[in-house]
Amino acid sequence: MISRSALSRSVQQAARRSGAVPRRGYAAAAAPTASYETADVSGLKIASKDAHGPTTTLAVVAKAGTRYQPLPGLTYGLEQFAFKTTQRRSALRIARESELLGGQLTASHTREALFIEASFLRDDLPYFAELLAEVVSQTKYTTHEFHEEIERVLPYKKAAVNADVAGLALDNAHAVAFHSGLGAALNPSTTAPFQKYVNEEYVASFADVVYSKPNIAVVADGAGSQALSKWVDQFFKGVPATASSGQTLKTEASKYFGGEQRTSHTAGNAVVIAFPGSDAAGSKPEIEVLATLLGGQSTIKWAPGFSLLSKATAGTPGLSIVSSNQAYSDAGLLTVQLSGAAASVRKAAEETVKALKAIAAGTVSKEDVAKAVANAKFNLLEKAGTRGSSVLLAGTGLVHNGKVQDLVALTKSLDAVTADKLKTTAKALLDGKATVSTVGDLFVLPYAEELGLRV
Amino acid sequence: MVSLAPFVLKRPWLVKALTPAANWYAGASGYRQLGLRYDDLLEEENEAVQIALKRLSAKESYERVYRIRRSVQCSYTHKLLPKDQWTKPEEDVPYLRNILAQVEAELAEKDALDSMTVIKKH
Repeated sequence: MISRSALSRSVQQAARRSGAVPRRGYAAAAAPTASYETADVSGLKIASKDAHGPTTTLAVVAKAGTRYQPLPGLTYGLEQFAFKTTQRRSALRIARESELLGGQLTASHTREALFIEASFLRDDLPYFAELLAEVVSQTKYTTHEFHEEIERVLPYKKAAVNADVAGLALDNAHAVAFHSGLGAALNPSTTAPFQKYVNEEYVASFADVVYSKPNIAVVADGAGSQALSKWVDQFFKGVPATASSGQTLKTEASKYFGGEQRTSHTAGNAVVIAFPGSDAAGSKPEIEVLATLLGGQSTIKWAPGFSLLSKATAGTPGLSIVSSNQAYSDAGLLTVQLSGAAASVRKAAEETVKALKAIAAGTVSKEDVAKAVANAKFNLLEKAGTRGSSVLLAGTGLVHNGKVQDLVALTKSLDAVTADKLKTTAKALLDGKATVSTVGDLFVLPYAEELGLRV
Repeated sequence: MVSLAPFVLKRPWLVKALTPAANWYAGASGYRQLGLRYDDLLEEENEAVQIALKRLSAKESYERVYRIRRSVQCSYTHKLLPKDQWTKPEEDVPYLRNILAQVEAELAEKDALDSMTVIKKH
């Protein structure tokens, strides 16, 4: 048997003898990057992060969320047209080819951004970079695809949206809080007109405005910055620098209004209690901490956990409470989403206001605040570390501010949140105008007035 | 089916020579006297044409049905249309053939892709 050290020594010697073969050792390998590196490739913003894993997620993020759509439903229409027939290949060919390479193609949208995303094995980066560039700049927006594929699934989409009571309540809360812009419905609803505003021509002209270089960003998780900029430079040449029609995107600064909306629904019960929140740049870190302090979902097993709402509603089964700060580029919404049986949702709504009043009165223990700060930090970093959400966050940041979230600064600002700050913030929220959106059995579910909120 | 059309279309002088004969042939085949267009005569009973017909705009689709019903009526009564209602040569434009070609290409691609392999170029 050959001893291992002898073998390796001879291999080393052989290597040395064979002359100076330029071979990269482990020490010389490009170090894995934990946060996004941004760059500018001929006017197009790109960001990449590489942990040297075997797979890559590549996404084109466009500033084309429901907030920016000139007509209701255009963002949804544009999302549906992703990976449809382009000038160079058919939708079927795109699907079959990416299947063969083991890739996954998805398109989705938020209130602010539209994502066209491909996940694939690391080596296939050039293929998918080319594909995404093609989708962005060469989609045909054909009439028959709109009728035969997009309109065909529309009723099912509407039905799914209509059945999601919690989602409807959150949508209504945004509408009440922000009116237009961020208040625009995220998905087509059963009651809103769709065909009146959306057809392939309108979608194509929206795409022309949206898919221009300053308006999109290319984000990759699992690809080196050099490789990414090389392929983006090569393939994204066809993306225009400005819209060919000369139109620009309609953008208005968000303004918080507040108010109450009640909708009768048979599929379930949901209440969203919302207040003005913190934006994506972390303008009010105390709001993030307030969201985790209110909580509602246990972070540990077999116990309600530290959060005020989960402790208060520990005895009511079948109730779902999610407190979060919905952060957007220039505004935020602190939401407490309650759903479940009508009576328990009513009780939870009352408990929510009670908890807020307790925070405003300063009766929350120091320890709970410390736990909430730690949890807020974890949530922030986890979101920035998980692949799907990090690509989304980085892309949205790039198209709006030209930079990705500064995690160090954000964590530092969360650390600086004190019980006193929470107290004054909660007091200010209760004194200001709240947003209450109620969907479900209106006979049982409370009015904002009954809860003790000003709307 | 072997067609001479590509051979002829490549040679302008031949096109020029044959056009009067082609026009005479189209007129003599009789469908224009019934108010039809050439694309109205395409065989409908196959998948590709059915898909193509669904892709016509509402107006084109209505006019097509109108022309066909009018010609059937003419056929029943053993009469031709009055001469001012005949299809003029400039009206006899392909409105379905292009869509049909596109649909056939799509269907052919679908068949071909059932046993496809990707050759990576990079």
